[in-house]
Amino acid sequence: MEYLGNEYTSFLRPVDNLENIEIALLLEGIYRYYGFDFRNYSIQFIKRRIWHRMRTDNIENISGLQERVFHDPKMMEKLLSDLSINVTEMFRDPSFFSSFRTKVVPILRDYPFIRIWHAGCSTGEEVYSMAILLYEEGLYEKTRIYATDINGSVIKSAQKGLFPLNRMKKYTKNYLEAGGTRSFSEYYIVKHEHASFHPFLAKNIAFAQHNLVSDQSFNEFHVIICRNALIYFNKLLQSRVHQLLYDSLSLSGILGLGSKESIQFSGIANYYEEVDSVEKIYRKIK
Amino acid sequence: MTFKTKLYLGFGILFGLFIILQVILTMMLDKLDENMDGISKNYQMVKLANTIQEELSIFSMDSRGLIANPPEKFRSELMNGKYNALKRANSAIESLRKLDREEKSQKLIKDLRMMNKTLTKMEKKSDELFATGDTEELTKLYWYKSSKVREQMTEKADELQNIQVKAVNNKIDQSKKTYNLALKMVSIYIIAGLLAGLFIAVWILRSITFNLNKVTSVMSRVSLGESGRLPRIKVNTKDEIGIIGEAFNKMAESIEMQAMQEKKLKHSAEEQSWLKTKVSEVSNMYPGIDHLDTLAHRFIMKIAPMVEASYGVFYIKEGSGDEQYLKKAAAYASNKPHDIGIEKFRLGEGIIGQCAIDKKMLVLNDIPENYMKVTTGLGMASPKTIIVMPAEFEGEVLAVVELASLKQFTPLQKMLLEEVMGNIGITIKSILRQMQVEQLLQDSQALTEELQTQSEELQMQHEELRTVNEQLEEQFRQSEQKTKELEEVREILEDKAKQLSLSSQYKSEFLANMSHELRTPLNSLLILAQMLADNPEKNLTEKQVEYAKTILSSGNDLLHLINDILDLTKVQQGKIEVNPEAFELTEIKAFAERRFIHYAKKKGIRFYVELASDLPKVMYTDSQRLCQILNNLLSNAFKFTEEGEITLRIKRADNQLSIRKDDDYASSPLLAFSVNDTGIGIPKDKQRIIFEAFKQADGTTSRKYGGTGLGLSISLEIARLLGGYIDVKSIEGKGSTFTLYLPDSIHDKAVTELSISKHEAAATLLPDASQSPEAPVQVDEISHYPKEEKNLLKDKKILIVDDDMRNIFALTTVLENYQVKVVFAENGKGGIDVLKEHPDIDLILMDIMMPEMDGFEAMRIIRQIPECCNIPIIALTAKAMKHDKQHCIEAGASDYISKPVNIEQLLSIIRVWLYQQK
Ligand SMILES: C[S@@+](CC[C@H](N)C(=O)[O-])C[C@H]1O[C@@H](n2cnc3c(N)ncnc32)[C@H](O)[C@@H]1O
Repeated sequence: MEYLGNEYTSFLRPVDNLENIEIALLLEGIYRYYGFDFRNYSIQFIKRRIWHRMRTDNIENISGLQERVFHDPKMMEKLLSDLSINVTEMFRDPSFFSSFRTKVVPILRDYPFIRIWHAGCSTGEEVYSMAILLYEEGLYEKTRIYATDINGSVIKSAQKGLFPLNRMKKYTKNYLEAGGTRSFSEYYIVKHEHASFHPFLAKNIAFAQHNLVSDQSFNEFHVIICRNALIYFNKLLQSRVHQLLYDSLSLSGILGLGSKESIQFSGIANYYEEVDSVEKIYRKIK
Repeated sequence: MTFKTKLYLGFGILFGLFIILQVILTMMLDKLDENMDGISKNYQMVKLANTIQEELSIFSMDSRGLIANPPEKFRSELMNGKYNALKRANSAIESLRKLDREEKSQKLIKDLRMMNKTLTKMEKKSDELFATGDTEELTKLYWYKSSKVREQMTEKADELQNIQVKAVNNKIDQSKKTYNLALKMVSIYIIAGLLAGLFIAVWILRSITFNLNKVTSVMSRVSLGESGRLPRIKVNTKDEIGIIGEAFNKMAESIEMQAMQEKKLKHSAEEQSWLKTKVSEVSNMYPGIDHLDTLAHRFIMKIAPMVEASYGVFYIKEGSGDEQYLKKAAAYASNKPHDIGIEKFRLGEGIIGQCAIDKKMLVLNDIPENYMKVTTGLGMASPKTIIVMPAEFEGEVLAVVELASLKQFTPLQKMLLEEVMGNIGITIKSILRQMQVEQLLQDSQALTEELQTQSEELQMQHEELRTVNEQLEEQFRQSEQKTKELEEVREILEDKAKQLSLSSQYKSEFLANMSHELRTPLNSLLILAQMLADNPEKNLTEKQVEYAKTILSSGNDLLHLINDILDLTKVQQGKIEVNPEAFELTEIKAFAERRFIHYAKKKGIRFYVELASDLPKVMYTDSQRLCQILNNLLSNAFKFTEEGEITLRIKRADNQLSIRKDDDYASSPLLAFSVNDTGIGIPKDKQRIIFEAFKQADGTTSRKYGGTGLGLSISLEIARLLGGYIDVKSIEGKGSTFTLYLPDSIHDKAVTELSISKHEAAATLLPDASQSPEAPVQVDEISHYPKEEKNLLKDKKILIVDDDMRNIFALTTVLENYQVKVVFAENGKGGIDVLKEHPDIDLILMDIMMPEMDGFEAMRIIRQIPECCNIPIIALTAKAMKHDKQHCIEAGASDYISKPVNIEQLLSIIRVWLYQQK
């Protein structure tokens, strides 16, 4: 993220482009006033979302948006939901789950107790997928899954375990590709336009609101899954969050990232070994 | 004298002596030999002389024999012997003559010859004589003449023999003498020779061993000490030893030279190896460095102490084009407060910048006093030498290093620096490249992430759009459906209108008539009952009065009912006329207050009528009917409210709500009349029923609260008639709000046929529709979904392929409950046939284990039919068989479910696969 320059060489010559300044001011203001810290999110992402909001609400410039955001909490809400990308799927990237099944599960078998953290779990599809996988591998009983997200409303929806019917075909396909050993339909009942997942899957899942940017580690985990959340952060924040994840992982713990993410430039790549480099599964080694 | 000459000389002398000895001996032996020769000749001569004598005697004998006149047979033999003896004597004489050359002998020999000849002649004569037989003569001859000759000859031969013996004796004496002399001489000679040889040998040996000892004693002392000097041999002879000595001395000299050279070489090799180890030490440090600053830092930290420099700075070239400059990247022995080294140089600026342009090592020796100082804990000192070196790669300067030392740099150190600087260029370049690659990788990673965020955003937006779209579509679909339904309804209506108008006319008329008929006797009945209840004559028991009152009130109820029915039929028949008129809304307020304020007071309920401030003053509608509705709503409210308050609120309706209304009135704004009570409320599921005619929320309510239950139906009808509708919101136990929405004005001719006929149609048709068997649908938790949407399965066609008829039957029963149309087949082949017959099949339930053609094959074949490749197929697999599931998917199943089938799971899975993405 670009910060406001503080060496003004001349009064009238702009040192930075106005848009960046406005965005920096807006984010700073949001942080100070509402407490949401987007200051180190990817600037491109922030820009796009801000422009999206401005377009839909017919706002001319960022300062205009700023005015609205600070004086109208509803606008802040809208902006918040713009900034909250909750795209997810059950068994998203099925190969990740099948790799997890073949490469990580054998490691987990030896543990008397397993703690898993899904950071940025969104509406919970990923968490339920993990629960199903562990259930099928006979590990679910000794597992506790902590599913967190910055966005309270997605957490609430995750708790319900209701997923839209229109995605279920895709999820069935994913489930099969991820190496599901039973039949996917055993896990849900269709109610109207939703598939309601069996409550026994949520039995060992604790849902909570947690902000990766500002909150601390809250336990030590054997597995941390943080997929497709880091991509919204800039380099600085990414490496900070990586540090947090690292600190929250027990020795020989497993870190799972999104398919497009990488540990390579996080600054702590040396502390991990690759379990599956394609599926971005790593193991903490020191 | 050299060794060689000495040896030649010595052996020569010995050899000479030997030869002399040989010559003498040979001479002597020759002499001896000569004597021996003479002796043997003489001896031969003796022998010859002897032979002569012998032969003579033989001759004489034979001759004598002949004379003696021997028998004939011996004669020739004697004759021959006689002549042969003569011949032999003659040849001996001849040999003697040849051998003996001496005069005396020669003379004798001559005589002998003569005599022999004579003898021979005589013999011949004798022979003749013999032949003649002249024996006398013969004897004479023989005895006298010939014997005389023979005697003479024997004498002569004797004489000769003597001479010869004498000569032999002479010669033997002479030989003896010679031999003795030779013996003496040889002895002397041998002794002399031995002595001479001995002397010579000793002489030679002595002279050789002495000199050799001298040389070996020097040689044995040879060893190359520290000094590198070798001992020398003093050469004072000219002989071979002298030469050896000289050669040795030469050798020693060259060995000394060689040793010196070797030492030099060793030294330089040591330097070389120092250089090499240092260079490799430096270059070994390079691998693994992935940043230029790290390289600069490590390099300067390593190299400065190596060359005993007391300060050093590493500058790296940065920027490109015109904006190139050298930036300090690392320093050795920097003393923080006045940090050494300027941070940046442009190319050509200062020595550093110059060096980058010149690409040459610069050494500065005369450093001015005020130059930088090397600081230690105890003080400061000016450096003596400064060296500035460029690091190049392919002619491009990439970095400059400056070092300062308190001493001069030794050539070796300079060499090291040159070497090391030569190497670092390529390292810098490769790190630069590596950093570039790293940067690129990092950029590409960032881009990948960026792409992922964008795609997720898009996905989200897409999802949002989709839901909005879906909602719109759903609305559209619904409205379309509605219009279609309406259309159909209208058509049917049109058809039925006539019948209806007839039948409903009949019905209504019948109802009206009957009501009328009923009303008349009922009226009289009521009057009578009233009279009885009044008991004017006081002759009825209390019980009887009570009965009469019951009859009265039941009769009243009945009358109300009849009135209501009449009303309703009137409305339904369109017999009620709408008479719109302009009136002020305050009139409504007055009406309500007038009507209910007392009642409220009596019941102990607060009653308010509120008019919103933005209301139009005047409204144009049928005020009578309006009042009728409000009256009804308020009556209900009072009926069901025991305590609390009741409010009538009149305000403008929220815009959105008016959407629901028919187009006819859409233009005029709606007013909302809401009656709000704090009564018992209406359960959610009953809220719709209450508007239906002859129905009440609860069968018991009517008993408790009285009333026919037709009031709301009538109100709703009237509201519709006026272009409005009634809405209810209620929470059980908390109270209800009935809101009447009416357009603030209606057109005069607004009482359209449509609204009536539509209503009638609804009355006749809807009951069937609303009583459709929705009951089996499971308990409903998400109640905000409209009921019609619930049954996703309705009218779907499902093919069941199973060889067990009982399964088919069970599944069919379940599915038909959901209005699914079921077709079935008992094996895969049959399934495919059925599928071909019914191309509109929406989903297939496929058992796996079947005779004739099993499920796997059936699915495979189905998937090959072009029209069927997208039909969802749900395989029914036996629970035990684990990889069946995998096989199912491979064979083309969309999903699978284990047998025995859990109905709920089956319904869920069917819903998933039948769900149509709109
Ligand atoms: C795209 S979703 C990924 C969901 C899921 N992990 C997956 O890969 O399918 C990203 C999630 O990260 C959450 N998130 C964003 N910033 C966060 C923060 N600072 N702390 C915790 N969660 C955050 C968002 O709310 C969103 O639900």
